[in-house]
Formats: sequence, structure tokens, C-alpha cells
Amino acid sequence: MALLTRAEVEDFLYHEAALLDDWKTLEWAELFTEDCEYLVPPTDLPDADKNAALFIINDDHHRLVQRAKRLTRRTAHVEFPHSKVRHTIHNVRILEQDEAGLTVASNQVVYRAKRQNLDTFVCHTIHKLARTADGLRIRSKRVMLDIDGLRPHGMISGIL
Amino acid sequence: MNKPLEAGLGGTHFIRIDQQRCEFLVPRWAFTDQAVLDKEREEIFGRCWLYVGHASEIPQAGDFVARKVGGRQLFLWRGEDGVPKVYFNTCTHRGAMVCREKQGNAKRLTCPYHGWTYDTRGGMVEQPGASGFPDDFFANGAKNLVSPAKVEAYRDFVFVNFDPSAVDLTTYLAGAAECLDLVADQGQHGMEVTPGEQVYSMRANWKLLYENSADGYHAITAHASYFDYLRATVGVFREDFNPHDVGGGGKSLGNGHAVIEYQAPWGRPVAQWVPQWGESGRAEIARVKAELTARLGEQRADRIANWNRNILIFPNLVINDIMGLTVRTFQPVTPGYLEVNAVSLAPRGEHPEMRAWRQYNFNEFLGPAGFATPDDVEMLELCQQAYQNMPEVGWNDISKGMNRPDNNQGDDEVQMRSFWIRWDELMGAAR
Repeated sequence: MALLTRAEVEDFLYHEAALLDDWKTLEWAELFTEDCEYLVPPTDLPDADKNAALFIINDDHHRLVQRAKRLTRRTAHVEFPHSKVRHTIHNVRILEQDEAGLTVASNQVVYRAKRQNLDTFVCHTIHKLARTADGLRIRSKRVMLDIDGLRPHGMISGIL
Repeated sequence: MNKPLEAGLGGTHFIRIDQQRCEFLVPRWAFTDQAVLDKEREEIFGRCWLYVGHASEIPQAGDFVARKVGGRQLFLWRGEDGVPKVYFNTCTHRGAMVCREKQGNAKRLTCPYHGWTYDTRGGMVEQPGASGFPDDFFANGAKNLVSPAKVEAYRDFVFVNFDPSAVDLTTYLAGAAECLDLVADQGQHGMEVTPGEQVYSMRANWKLLYENSADGYHAITAHASYFDYLRATVGVFREDFNPHDVGGGGKSLGNGHAVIEYQAPWGRPVAQWVPQWGESGRAEIARVKAELTARLGEQRADRIANWNRNILIFPNLVINDIMGLTVRTFQPVTPGYLEVNAVSLAPRGEHPEMRAWRQYNFNEFLGPAGFATPDDVEMLELCQQAYQNMPEVGWNDISKGMNRPDNNQGDDEVQMRSFWIRWDELMGAAR
């Protein structure tokens, strides 16, 4: 199997970002493997172990799917109506690759606008991607925030 | 509307209580007015005991953590004598912060500006270029680090008070001390703050968060999507669960402190098993419960294990002993903006598998990306923004349960009324 190029990986990341920007969260959840994790470690400990430390987001597949579903409901009050969200992706690097999959680092900036507030999430994101018969799938997405705290954001209401 | 602050405050009540009508009203400008916040800084944050941190956060001599508390910059520093100290984070020379890391370990801290150096006793022990001062200039600790007027701990929860005439901490805690005991007793070997701090904020007045932190009434509406999550999580949700009928109820604990105590279907690491945790989780929960029972007796072990407690310690400490155990403090920055710091507290020596479930469980509801807290933030911000309608719509209603004072339910609002009555007293109503 030929190794993937950075451009092919970027296409995948851009596709993921487009789904999130369009609030197609159910389709986004389908990008993940059954054994996946979606993690946002605490801002003071970006390298923390999810089994020992208190994270901001610590999702397995079950919770990730429920998070995606929640964000389609009017009862997810914080995102009803949906805010405007835009992901931009830079500095994409393939850190490791073999036939089974690859590890990709990127810098991402996520903007969220609602009720006259614009919040900016500066992120260093590590994707662990699996090569499957259906194409690339996300086994792990770890979003490390390069901010001292969610101030003034207050929260991560959608998906980074 | 008559604004008591403009009228001079003396003897004027902010709140309106109509016992006959069972109506309790709070003016919305209490959430928006800069003059109110200025007065709160003096009368509440300047006089009440304020939580700084937990002794487990500085386990070794020399360990320190920096904290913003009550509008001050403080740091907690474990002395070489083993005792936690609290200092204002400011050099006595020209004022720069001497503790520049959020946490760390040091036997001495040196101000980066002119090099004044302090030891864990706060002593100013060294400075470059010592000439130019009289011989006795630094005698008797004249330029030592300054501590808040009072520093005391209750079962490893360290508090400060900026008022030298304040009552002692245990007296201040009143009935809340017993609730802290129910937390502290969970660990056979004590409790510890786990790594990782949730640092966030809300574009809302700090009192809105105090109210929200023990509000059983909002759960079914504001957190409908969290209950959907529980329903979708195998075996957790009991269809007979009715959030309006959860047993227990709210209770005033004196001095503005309060608790709501109730039962709920979610998992509790100490100690209510849910099928999600599997058979090994079941065995561990049984072991934890047996240890509690042996150490504390059956009645107290049942209360700790099976009952949830949202504990409000006036004015800005919330300990929610629910699907996780969170210690959450919040500080007003402006009338419409607050900062929150939250950590996860756990029994020291907890089984690693249970610790992992504890942290996972915490995130299902709590924290800035949980399945509930973001909706709370939204509710508070909707309130804060809508207070712009104050000229015409000026009062909040906090009456629920006033008609059944001897039979409070978990979704009544007695705990909020006890906050507001104390707040009103401190803000001048009783003087």
C-alpha cells in the first residue's frame, strides 16, 4: 500500500472541518472508529493521562456519538440556535505512518460566534488515523488548547 | 424602582419577602450594578471566609499553587514546617508577583524585579545591594510577605479571611462543616485533588452561578439532553426516575450556606454502581461500600454512597458530590463576568480503574464541555443579557417551596433564599 501524502491527509482534515462548520455532527461521528477517543486535556496539563487527570472532554465512541446527537437537538440549549463556527487548519505534519495508519499533527484555530461574542480556540491537534476499507477513520483526536483557560469562552459547546 | 444603594443602603432591604403570598423577590439590578459589586467586595468578599485550595495540592514542603481569590492574587505555599501558608502574591518592595508559576516547588521565591528573596515563612531573607537601608530596617519582619488576616483549614480545605475580626472558620461554616465531613470521610486515607484544573468563565453575575449550582428545579428543562444521554447509556437510566421527586430536599445550613440532598440514577464513584462500569466496577464499588460501612457505620455509609449533595458554602464555594466530586470556586470580575476554577476531588489511594471511571463520569455532566454545564452557562448568560429589560421587568422570583417550609422538596428554592437572606444582611439590610 502506498503511503499517503500530506495533501491526501489534509483533504481528510478539511472534510472533517467542513462537517463541523456545517453542524453535520452525525456525519462527523461516522468518521470515527469503534475504539475511538476524542480528548481535550486540561489547559494546564496538555500531556495528561485521561485515566488519572480531569479532562475537559474525555469521550469514547459511545459518548462521542451522544455528543454528536445532542448537538442536533433543540434541547442542547447552548447550541440552539447553532452558533457560527469556522475551523482553519495549518502546519499539517505527518509524524508517523505505516500501512495501518498514521499520526498527524496540525495547528487549528476554531472561531465561534454567537450573540455578539467571538471566541477563538487556538489548538494543537493530534489525529491518529486508521486506514480502513472505507477510507481514513479517526482512532484518536486529541485537541490541546494553547490558551490558559476557557476565558472568556466559558465552554466548548460544540466540537473543536 | 427604588434602588437602595442610591438611597444610601442603611436599613434598606434589597430583597422583598411577602410571607403571606409566599413570594420572594430579588431585584435584577443586584446582578448588573457596579456599585453593588463594589459593595460586595467590601462586605462579602472582604469579610467572609473564602476557599483557597486543598492541602493535597501542596503535598511536599515548598510546594506552591497560585490562586486568585476574592479579587486578590494569593499563593498557597507548604512551609518547611509542614504547615500550609497563604501569602499575598506581591513583593513588599515594589509589588511585583513573586510567585510566577501556577504551581511548583521552591524553598525560596525571588522577586524578579529587584531580587528580594522570601522563604516559606514569608521572611525576606536576602536581597542584592543591602546598603542604603538603616541596620534595623528589615527587623521584626518589617518587609516580610504579607498573609491574609486569617488563614485556617477545615479537614484540608484551606480558607482565608481578610477581616481580622472574623469569627473562626468552624463557627463560620456552621452546618456546612457536617457536609464537608461527608466529603472528607469518603477516603479511608484522606482525599486528594486530582491533576487537571477546569479553568473557565461565564458572562454572567457570580450570584447566578451560586443559585444555579444547587438548583434542582432546572434539571428537567435545562438538562433534558443530559437525561437523553443517560437514557442512551446502557442500564443507567431507570424509567421510573422523576427528577421532580428525588427524595431529600434543600436545607439552609446557616450563614448563607445550604445543601440539596437527593437520589439520582447516575453512577457515583463513592459508591453507587452503574452497569456501564462492568462486573469489575461492581466488585470495586461493593468493596468501597463495605469499607465505608465498616469505618463509619451502615447509616452514614448509606448516606455518603446513595445520596447526592450539592453543597453551597457562602459566598463562592460549591462542592457537588454527584456523578463526580467537584470543588468549584468562582470570582466576580465585573458585574456581568465571573471566572470559575474547578477540580475533581477523590479518595487518596483509589483503585486506578475506579479513578478512571471517576474522571470519565465527571465529564458526562460537569465542566465546560460536559453534557450539562454548557447549557447552564447559556442559561446564566441569557438571564444576564435579559436583565437589560430591568426598567420594566425588574424582579427575579425565588418563591418555590415557600408554602411548604416543613416539607421541602429537592426542586424547591429554600437553598437560594438562604443565600439571599444572608447576602441581604451582609449588604446592609440588618444595620
